Amino acid sequence: MNRSERINSGLNIRAYLTLIRSSIIEYMQYRMSVVVMLFGNVVYLVIIYNLWKAIYASVDTPTVGGMTFTDTMIYLVLASAQFCFMEAYLVWEMGWGIQSGNIVLQLLRPISFETYQLFVIAGANLFNFVLTFIPTFFIIQIVTDWPIPMGVNLLYYIVAAALGGLINFAVDFFVGTICLYTQSIWGINIMKQLMVTFLSGATIPLAFFPETLRKIVMFLPFHAIYNTPLTLLIHNDLPMSEIGKMLLTQLLWAVLMMAVAGGFWKVSEKVITVNGG
Amino acid sequence: MRKLKFYARIYFKILGQDIKSRMSYRSDFIISMIGMLFTNAVELAAFYIMFQNFNSVCGWSYYEMLFLYGFSLVALTPMQCLFENNWNLNGYVKRGDFIKYCFRPLNIFFYYISEIFDIKGLGQLAMGIGTLIFSWHKLQIPVTPLVLIKLILALASASLFFIGMMNFAAASCFYLINTGFLINTVSKFRDYAKYPVTIFNRGFRFLFTFIIPIAFIAYYPSLSVVRPDSASVLTWITPVYGSLFFYASCKFWMHGAGKYTGTGS
Repeated sequence: MNRSERINSGLNIRAYLTLIRSSIIEYMQYRMSVVVMLFGNVVYLVIIYNLWKAIYASVDTPTVGGMTFTDTMIYLVLASAQFCFMEAYLVWEMGWGIQSGNIVLQLLRPISFETYQLFVIAGANLFNFVLTFIPTFFIIQIVTDWPIPMGVNLLYYIVAAALGGLINFAVDFFVGTICLYTQSIWGINIMKQLMVTFLSGATIPLAFFPETLRKIVMFLPFHAIYNTPLTLLIHNDLPMSEIGKMLLTQLLWAVLMMAVAGGFWKVSEKVITVNGG
Repeated sequence: MRKLKFYARIYFKILGQDIKSRMSYRSDFIISMIGMLFTNAVELAAFYIMFQNFNSVCGWSYYEMLFLYGFSLVALTPMQCLFENNWNLNGYVKRGDFIKYCFRPLNIFFYYISEIFDIKGLGQLAMGIGTLIFSWHKLQIPVTPLVLIKLILALASASLFFIGMMNFAAASCFYLINTGFLINTVSKFRDYAKYPVTIFNRGFRFLFTFIIPIAFIAYYPSLSVVRPDSASVLTWITPVYGSLFFYASCKFWMHGAGKYTGTGS
């Protein structure tokens, strides 16, 4: 092992942890926005509660698409809380970096751009997970009388959420790379965001989708971002084989999407033109 | 009167500059436009899926809800198109760039707001009008000059509420430091404007009527067209209340701008 290799392997873990830590510290500066985010989640919870209560009141059956009112509500609130910690606005960040030229600073670092972004985002996600998802989880548990068992399903959720986060990152990174060509941020980002939240079942539970649409959606990677972790969290009675299948599907998507995003970036890196500033 | 003419001329001059500069990024313009239409198409699809499972919401049928949705889209357009620059206010104030607006012999609020015209909002407008006409047709509401006048008045006054809310949220950065998240939160409330306010309990109904008046963006004003029989006094005072609310928000904005001291750079 020569010197540079040694530095590299020694650098890896330490550098990654430092990136995670620095992004957490950066977020600490915006404590106020966390409070507002949490408050926003609570207001959202109340609105969702009222809205779906009214919707369920207008049908005669207690379950629709196999979901009761409480199921739907828990699902949607947790989906929104998950969105809050997973959305790290990477497309904005990359798009903005390209427009302003700041991306050059990140490209010059002795760490690949993709790895750098991955760990910065991981730190942000972790921070927001602890500060928004966990409180929201306990609030909804208390409000709806502990419907979610506190067992091994929590562990599955954490694994599935991590994999979902990785897929989400890959999608973001891919879409952010498109900004290199189009120099348009808003339009690309809004389309990506809607596509992910709608097709992953974060806006409306996938159980409500018409049969054909659901089948199509299951062939796309997006459902693995929200639907899989949340299903594993909420349903405690899934057979082991089902759980294994879901996690494996996620893993495959994560590997595939990371490879595609990384490959696309490699090809596109060369077209970066910044304004010389 | 002369003043009004002067301001109208200036307005179109500033606006023309903005559109010209936007047009130099043609691909961005096209993608933004597609993005806007895509947003509304996805929302409509979500709407459709919901009503595949449920027949009505709180006694409101599919087409009535569609009408509310279309109404809210049109009512939100003036904010999107004409007052878009409110989004950037926090950044200008924080960086100190706001000072450039203080040196023009024009009303600051007017000059600041007229600087940007957001073309992609027109996509939303088209979508909204389309949805309105479609649901109007399906609901078999008669098309008479009276109904049309009511609708236009209702839309105009409804739009004042959202502009007012965003003015308040944006101008808060003159009084407090770095309130960018506030405008984000307020703008998210627009998602709930398309539901009848009757789905909420009393406390929230009060909140959404008098404190964060999102019920006036679609529900109250559109009652005058969809369900004239159940329209309450709140429906009929919408134009007056909207104008007052808008006026108050402008005053709040101007008062804040008066307190602006720059960053010293």
